[in-house]
Amino acid sequence: MKKFLNRPEDFVDEMLQGIYRAHPQVTYADNDPRCFVTAHPVPGKVGIVSGGGSGHLPTFLGFVGENMLDGCGVGGVFQSPSAEQIATVTRYVDQGAGVLYLYGNYTGDVMNFDMAAELLELEDIQTRTVLGNDDVASAPPQEAHKRRGVAGLFFTYKAAGAAAAAMKPLSEVARIAEKTSARTKTMGVALSACTVPELGKPGFSIGADEMEIGMGIHGEPGIIRQKLAPADAVVDDMLSRILAEADYAPGDQVAVLMNGLGATPLEELYILFRRVAYILDLNGVIIRHAWLGEFATAMEMAGFSVSLLHLDEELAPLIAAQANTPFFQYLPQ
Amino acid sequence: MQQLGPVDLLGLFDRLAARFERERDALIALDSHVGDSDLGLTMAKGFAAARARVFELSDPSPAQIMQQAGAGLAQAAPSTMGTLMGTGFLRGGKAMAAHEVLDPAGFALFWRGFSDGVAARGKARLGDKTVLDVLDPIACAFESQAQARSDLPAASQAALEAAAQALDDSKSYMAQHGKAAAFREKTCGLQDAGGTVAWILADELHQAVLGAVAEG
Repeated sequence: MKKFLNRPEDFVDEMLQGIYRAHPQVTYADNDPRCFVTAHPVPGKVGIVSGGGSGHLPTFLGFVGENMLDGCGVGGVFQSPSAEQIATVTRYVDQGAGVLYLYGNYTGDVMNFDMAAELLELEDIQTRTVLGNDDVASAPPQEAHKRRGVAGLFFTYKAAGAAAAAMKPLSEVARIAEKTSARTKTMGVALSACTVPELGKPGFSIGADEMEIGMGIHGEPGIIRQKLAPADAVVDDMLSRILAEADYAPGDQVAVLMNGLGATPLEELYILFRRVAYILDLNGVIIRHAWLGEFATAMEMAGFSVSLLHLDEELAPLIAAQANTPFFQYLPQ
Repeated sequence: MQQLGPVDLLGLFDRLAARFERERDALIALDSHVGDSDLGLTMAKGFAAARARVFELSDPSPAQIMQQAGAGLAQAAPSTMGTLMGTGFLRGGKAMAAHEVLDPAGFALFWRGFSDGVAARGKARLGDKTVLDVLDPIACAFESQAQARSDLPAASQAALEAAAQALDDSKSYMAQHGKAAAFREKTCGLQDAGGTVAWILADELHQAVLGAVAEG
């Protein structure tokens, strides 16, 4: 293992100490640094809380801020936050209008968020849950509810966050989140493995000349492992799987997210995006937004994911709305 | 003797806190074969918190005691088993709230809510070698005892016997969940640590019922 660390067991807490010093717009609730919240809650607004394991920055906590998330439960590396931490975040974030839970579809997270919701029911705090399940490779379309949540969750944060900022009620914010989630599809590919600091070595390996299409952001097995192909061929394979998931008509609009998994340079993301744009052009699909960079990583894994959000009249202005968080700032063009 | 009142129920949580403190090392040993050895610590901490929480309540109903115990467990013991036991008491309390009293029919509702809640939250099925393999027979025993209009000591006795039998039967199962699943074959023949917790619940419940009978 070759990482900048002090002690492996301090990885998450020291990361948080750095985040709080760098970004005064976020703070923590109830003296627990893992109960990550905005320093500026908006009275009367529906709160949006996410959470999950560490090791994916900017996901999840990086999007707590203006017009996206209000709070985040921070777990250990690749581990769920506890139900109590989620409940603590929720109590802080709740401004009387209820709270939307918006996070990736992983067993441990589902168990703890559901438990938190049940505890808060005793305190009359209303919650709703929408799961991110954009990872096309993780289950076939007829079992889409089993799919994992990956980088595309960013779009759902963005749309639901804008809806909540417009002071829509909890039922509306949840409906918009569900719709955005259903219209977001992601495919990922990995070139190398990642190491959890406390384990000290990678849990799997990928050969020097291999790639694994569909690998998850914790190293979950993908669809196929094959010889590394040219960038254009990799994009062609991934986009064909995404486009097969929805009926795109010429003139339809999308937002594109090109996400580095941790060790892939931006240059490569732009090389890949060039081909994504070419294929969308061929299909007559219009790119309204293209965001490239790191959004949901897997520690130092090399690889990338591409997410498409199929926009419509309702979602387009929400995705185009202003946002200001430690890891994502956007001003309408 | 037909029901456990709120005072008897507080006594049950006294018993459970003391019992899980005593069983801490035994549960750690059971869990260490295939899990991460934290079950004994989790349960001792969780039931101590549940006890503290229910003793703070003023004039509680049985359902409130059960639900607050569940909340205390879940908060103090944020492991899988702590969350599942917390869920069980929360859902069990909710399920018997309308019935109001903990007679055999009330306990049947409580244990069915407990068992189904754990199954839903843990996504487990019978035979997966989990706590559910002992919880479900406890619920079934109370259901048939309530139907037969047995008194409470007979019902809790039958539930304890069902739990002991189920725990023994589950030794031959193979684990499908959690860290134990990585050891699948190795788990054959071993007593399940989670199932042992459910058996302890049935045991202490029966002792509490007998204690309430003796006090008249």
